[in-house]
Amino acid sequence: MKRNLSVLLSLVVLASILLAACGGTAATEAPAATEAPAATEASAATEAPAAAYEGLSVVSPDCEYGGEFKSIEAVDELTVKITLCVPDPAFPSKIAFTSFAIQPTEYIEATGGNGDLLEKPIGTGPYMIESWERGNQLVLTKNPNYWGENVGADTLVFRWGTESAQRLLELQSGTVDGIDNVGPDDFATVEGDSNLALYTRPALNTMYIGFNNNPQVEGFDNTTNPLANEKVRQAIAMGIDRQRIVDNFYPAGSEVASHFTPCVIPNGCVGDEWYAFDATAAKALLTEAGYPDGFETVLNYRDVVRGYLPDPNVVAQDLQAQLKENLNITVNIEVMESGAFLAAGDAGQLQGIHLLGWGADYPDQTNFVGYHFGAGASLQFGDKFEDITSALASGAQLASDSDREPFYTTANNAIRTHVPMIPVAHGGSALAFKASVEGAFASPLGNEEFSVMSNGTDTFVWMQNAEPISLYCADETDGESLRACEQVTQSLLSYETGGTAVEPALAESYEVSDDLTEWTFKLRPGVVFHDGSTLDANDVVTSLSVQWDAANPLHTGNTGAFSYWSGLFGAFLNAPPAQ
Amino acid sequence: MTTITATPPKLDSEALTLKSTSLWQITWHRLFRRKSSIIGMIILALLVTIALTAPWIAPYSPTLSMLDVDPPQDIQKRSSPCIHLLGCPQDQPQHIMGTDGNLRDEFSRMLYGARLSLMIGLSTVSFAIIIGTVLGALAGYFGGWIDNLIMRVMDVLLAFPSLLLAIAIVTVLGPGLINALLAIGIVSIPAYARVMRASVLSVREMDFVSATRSLGGNTYEILFKCILPNALTPLIVQGTLGIATAILDAAALSFLGLGAQPPTPEWGSMLGAERNQVFTAPHLVFYPGLAIMLTVLSFNLIGDGLRDALDPRLVHVSS
Repeated sequence: MKRNLSVLLSLVVLASILLAACGGTAATEAPAATEAPAATEASAATEAPAAAYEGLSVVSPDCEYGGEFKSIEAVDELTVKITLCVPDPAFPSKIAFTSFAIQPTEYIEATGGNGDLLEKPIGTGPYMIESWERGNQLVLTKNPNYWGENVGADTLVFRWGTESAQRLLELQSGTVDGIDNVGPDDFATVEGDSNLALYTRPALNTMYIGFNNNPQVEGFDNTTNPLANEKVRQAIAMGIDRQRIVDNFYPAGSEVASHFTPCVIPNGCVGDEWYAFDATAAKALLTEAGYPDGFETVLNYRDVVRGYLPDPNVVAQDLQAQLKENLNITVNIEVMESGAFLAAGDAGQLQGIHLLGWGADYPDQTNFVGYHFGAGASLQFGDKFEDITSALASGAQLASDSDREPFYTTANNAIRTHVPMIPVAHGGSALAFKASVEGAFASPLGNEEFSVMSNGTDTFVWMQNAEPISLYCADETDGESLRACEQVTQSLLSYETGGTAVEPALAESYEVSDDLTEWTFKLRPGVVFHDGSTLDANDVVTSLSVQWDAANPLHTGNTGAFSYWSGLFGAFLNAPPAQ
Repeated sequence: MTTITATPPKLDSEALTLKSTSLWQITWHRLFRRKSSIIGMIILALLVTIALTAPWIAPYSPTLSMLDVDPPQDIQKRSSPCIHLLGCPQDQPQHIMGTDGNLRDEFSRMLYGARLSLMIGLSTVSFAIIIGTVLGALAGYFGGWIDNLIMRVMDVLLAFPSLLLAIAIVTVLGPGLINALLAIGIVSIPAYARVMRASVLSVREMDFVSATRSLGGNTYEILFKCILPNALTPLIVQGTLGIATAILDAAALSFLGLGAQPPTPEWGSMLGAERNQVFTAPHLVFYPGLAIMLTVLSFNLIGDGLRDALDPRLVHVSS
């Protein structure tokens, strides 16, 4: 007995030594990463005296690397100049996005580009992070030094619940002040309750059925992926009754997608409309492609409710039934965890079919087709199509909507031909707040600001669908993370409250050269970060260049994908050669 | 010394036959004397009937969406039950338990769900009993390091909360009904191994085992012909109660999305899929929940009844 005890004890000791060893390696790596940037940017002293301001700059030697940025320079303490390789009329809309928020240089360096940066961003926004109890709640407190106006509560609490019934129950019982994504069946309940108010969000989003067209995607054991065949994808596009999905499984205010981009967006639905549902023609095309008896594949999705997909399980099962019925394609449903699903998508590791959607970040075609099918898009849909990418690249450089139209017509038609995905629906969704909340609104971009809402008390509780994945939004794409970041960090420009127009934020004003390539931003003087340091041009250069420059040791982030940067601005500088 | 004659004691053949049939007869009688076990058996009989005849009594295929019916029915998803006999208008299609979120007939899915649940209960417990019995018998019979090795592994398995361990196993193997069954089977092994080992330990040194051994019976004969039949009683009780636990665990795994994958009509996954409709379409949560409860209840009642009926100490009390 005694011997047994001693064996057990030694096992425990051994385990704790192992644990300590593992923890130790993580701890020793961190300082190495923080020292590195100081070495690489030694020429530009970060702590320069105010008299002789030494601005940082990152310059690309040429424009051959495939990205949009040529250089980012701190001209003086409050002036940043960004030079682009190609004209970009949508640049203000892009740079206003949450992912390009500015954080202090010193803080980014101190965290090594991840670590604390993921948990506790330091921004200039109306709220600052108080605590993040993982799995429970995120508590923000009012920033006393905020440069703008904040009429919101002193404490802002983010909570989350994946179940729409749970969110509604919490709102009805009064424990939360506002909820996101009222369940599709609950719209009437909220409207009939005099204590609650329903705010419908315009359907500025798209739900699509994506395909990985890579012929040898992992998991297929070197057999050919049937979805690599364009005819198969076209057959599926014809063989799915999208009207039936929208009619039965989407709330009022939703519509069947005629194109990937909603028609509200300029040039969104130019070109031919999507295939009409025709099961017979679809079956014939599938036979022609060499799969007369159908095939077996997987359907991946994440079981989270978004405005574009209010009831994912039901839609997935209806799709499964339709594919079986119309094309004899056997679909095995595999539900994935949200973060893992997005990461696998970006890395091109999703097999078969997947369900995902997109909510507008800013109302421009570059944010829809550009982000998904442009040269800088992730590997989500497998191999890219040259006719799509070239048309998108040309269209993105033109300023007027009429000049852009022919290119987006070409791109939309090419998307229809190649079928990298099937656009299904533009989903209507709604938020609900207590009727007593003043200033409540629903943003078409999904970026509700709580600094303009007041419930008359010192605590405002917001309940959304899911917990943020991380709060370093340069490397996040999920709207649940972005909304939390938007309360804390700010970009050079921002979008108007409840709208999509771009307005000044950290930059008071900007000037642009006639050829739309040189953008000079004048920073707002006296803006203070949450840690007390003052915003200057170098912070802008660092915040943007760690995303742009893949060789920067701080280019780490949560997963290192920085999908928004590559999606909006093309390739990374010094990107490692593709494998 | 006189030689010991090996003539067996003369037995009254009539008494022998009476005795050999009476154990099961008595058990049967006593089982039927308890109201609770009768209720359990009635529910179970009903379930078995439903499971066997599901294809004939179900009005629709369990995976058929009413949108695919020809001609398509004019019906909403998650519609309330409509029974013509109870006053539902004749022009509305009849759905005894309404339709689910995918416009499938809930009643048909419930019927097919009975098949799955019984299959889950019986297969996991059979798997666990077979493995557990062999392991327990080996441990109890041989003792020593074999006993130590097997039982310490069982202890480790027992140290985890069973559902958590099952979730961990499914996570490794990947979600799916078969993997869920395997996981539940694995986590229920220790219970049977322990029962079997205890029985073997108590029977091993009994005279009739020694007799068989001295007559030259080999290990296999002793273990499976002498000891096993005598250790069967507690296994039956444990197994009947185990079926209930297995069904409950499988429902829990499916509820979490780790068990049966859509569109399989498994009660736990049906419950999980409609969990957000507790207030808007309560029948979709009520029926699968009730079915799981009744099934588990029936096995528990029968298990309790069997335990009392097979307990020799209670023979005279109840008869």
